[in-house]
Amino acid sequence: MYRSFAIPAAAALSALVLLAGAARAETPHIPILVPVTGFLSLEGTSQRNGAVMALEQAIAAKSRVSYEISDTATSPEVAVNAMERALREVHTAAVVGPILGTQMLAMLPLAEEYEVPLVTISGTARLTEMGNPWIFRFFPGDAVTKVAHARYVVEELGRTRPAILYQTTAYGQSGRGHLETVFRSLGAEPVYEEGLDVSIKDMTPVLAKAMAAHPDVLVLHLHSTSTALLVRQARAHGIDLPIVAGSAMHQPATAAILESAELKDVCAETGSSPISGGSPGLERFTAAYRAAFGSEPDAFALAQYDATRMVLAALEDGATSGTAMRDWLASHAFDGLAMTYRSDGTGNMAHDAVIVCYDGKSRVPQVVKRYESVGLAR
Amino acid sequence: MDFLQLAVNALALGAAYALVALGFVLILNATAAVNFAQGDLVAAGGFLAVALAGILPVPGLLLLPLVAVLMAAVGLAVCAVAYWPLRDRPPVAVFISTIALGIILQNGLNGLFGAEPRAAPPLSGSGHLEIGGLVVARQSLAIMVVAALLIVGLRSLLWHTQLGRRLRATGQDREVAAALGIPVGAMVALTFALAAALAGAAGLLLANQFFITPTHGTDFIVKAYIAVVIGGWGRVGGALAGAMLVALFETVVAALADYAVATGLLYGALLAILVLRPQGLFGEAEGRRA
Repeated sequence: MYRSFAIPAAAALSALVLLAGAARAETPHIPILVPVTGFLSLEGTSQRNGAVMALEQAIAAKSRVSYEISDTATSPEVAVNAMERALREVHTAAVVGPILGTQMLAMLPLAEEYEVPLVTISGTARLTEMGNPWIFRFFPGDAVTKVAHARYVVEELGRTRPAILYQTTAYGQSGRGHLETVFRSLGAEPVYEEGLDVSIKDMTPVLAKAMAAHPDVLVLHLHSTSTALLVRQARAHGIDLPIVAGSAMHQPATAAILESAELKDVCAETGSSPISGGSPGLERFTAAYRAAFGSEPDAFALAQYDATRMVLAALEDGATSGTAMRDWLASHAFDGLAMTYRSDGTGNMAHDAVIVCYDGKSRVPQVVKRYESVGLAR
Repeated sequence: MDFLQLAVNALALGAAYALVALGFVLILNATAAVNFAQGDLVAAGGFLAVALAGILPVPGLLLLPLVAVLMAAVGLAVCAVAYWPLRDRPPVAVFISTIALGIILQNGLNGLFGAEPRAAPPLSGSGHLEIGGLVVARQSLAIMVVAALLIVGLRSLLWHTQLGRRLRATGQDREVAAALGIPVGAMVALTFALAAALAGAAGLLLANQFFITPTHGTDFIVKAYIAVVIGGWGRVGGALAGAMLVALFETVVAALADYAVATGLLYGALLAILVLRPQGLFGEAEGRRA
């Protein structure tokens, strides 16, 4: 008797398992491989949150898509292992790649081998200069942001004697190179330049040397903590020059550790500033982000949100294989919340930058200048 | 900004570094092993101060005893997890276990507090004072005073109390200390508690003026290690002098040259000391180096 039930039951179970497996295999999968631990965990967490928000909204709207999150920490090996694991089993439509450029560089050959697009917000210039068609960058790189940065200093503030203080990391060196070139092209010769290690706590020495060169503006290209330390210590020593910083200064987490008064005459370049508002869509995004993660969104979160939404739009349009996804991303424009994204032929999707400034009374900056389609033939 | 201004900054920074280095030396002397989680304990102390300030909105000075006591308890846990099970193994085992524990602490802090930089409350008030043309942060002055009191207190404990003599005896020779009836295990545990309390105090002092993130511990342990090597492996006074020297390079030398040059000179000095005076500037209490 048991046998007569067991055979059909086993057959039904097998069919269910097969059907479930087939359904799972057909559901487009998007691994999110980002650094949520280590020195880039602040930016990596923003990246993760932006991607997760876009995917959760799609799942809530009954889109067939699945995702998983893996921490890539800080080493290329961990990132490569995470990508190999993620690509092994399921149908992967695209991979959200880490903001850390050295990890992205190590992952590019895998993207090519598995024919899966990597969508990222990493700013490392080389990523889109290697002729790899599988990379799509949704955050404006230095070639865009540093043009906006320097042009704002010279054209809007009328300052021509910048002191450039940059981080000694790859991020800092790359930004410094672009700033130097753009400032010179604008006729503003930097009067002082120095690289700062991320472990430096006391900024007094560099401020003393920079001020001895009589600059008329301090131009920063530093990570979050170094930016905050420099702004605080400059103001403490009575240095009231305008400070135009890199994108770290737009991050709500950076502004949160400074007094509002210390932020007077402090500006920053960035891809966007969600908390500054500007459109109903942005305000809805900011409110939803706060509700979901209990923190303030920054430009990195918004860029990754937009990037993931563009991937989802491609899926909706039938681009379910890696090759179809690559071709779709390379050939379509997408109206995101931060800007309109379109490839320049090398995978650079973001070409706009904004300058935000603090008024010394609030920690929420205002967008004061927008630079669109920088370096892009229109 | 003149030399005096930079010297004042160096003194404040060096005082906080000294607390980190002293905790490092205490454990080194008691166990002959390097506690590589000491820097992460500093970060933990900073975050503990941030968390407590959210519950008790009082000046940092009032939070300091609470942070020290809670961090002492963390120190006991570190001893139980990373040292005690490995106490009869070669020192390199503790070296590895404390590295692992440091990574766990870093990731734990990241999970609990997030990756963004945080600021602990000031010890007694924020803002700056102008003293004879010098701009001195009130927090810097408070750091110098509190660190000096803690260092004097620690020295009094070690040199002028029966408990301190037991702690030092344990550090000098555990077998002889045990033979004399000193509870060696309890002394080692107490040393971990003291070292963690010092790390916690340093975390609170540093986390206001210089902020704190979960990954800052790595910077502190490197500085403590350099300070201890320069000052003399295992020498309490040497650690203090070494910490001041590290801060001097970071401020005064960095003002005269480039930061990169100042860092290069600091490591050059470290190498020269290792070659020419391996016992450090102030000699060596014990002969072992991990």
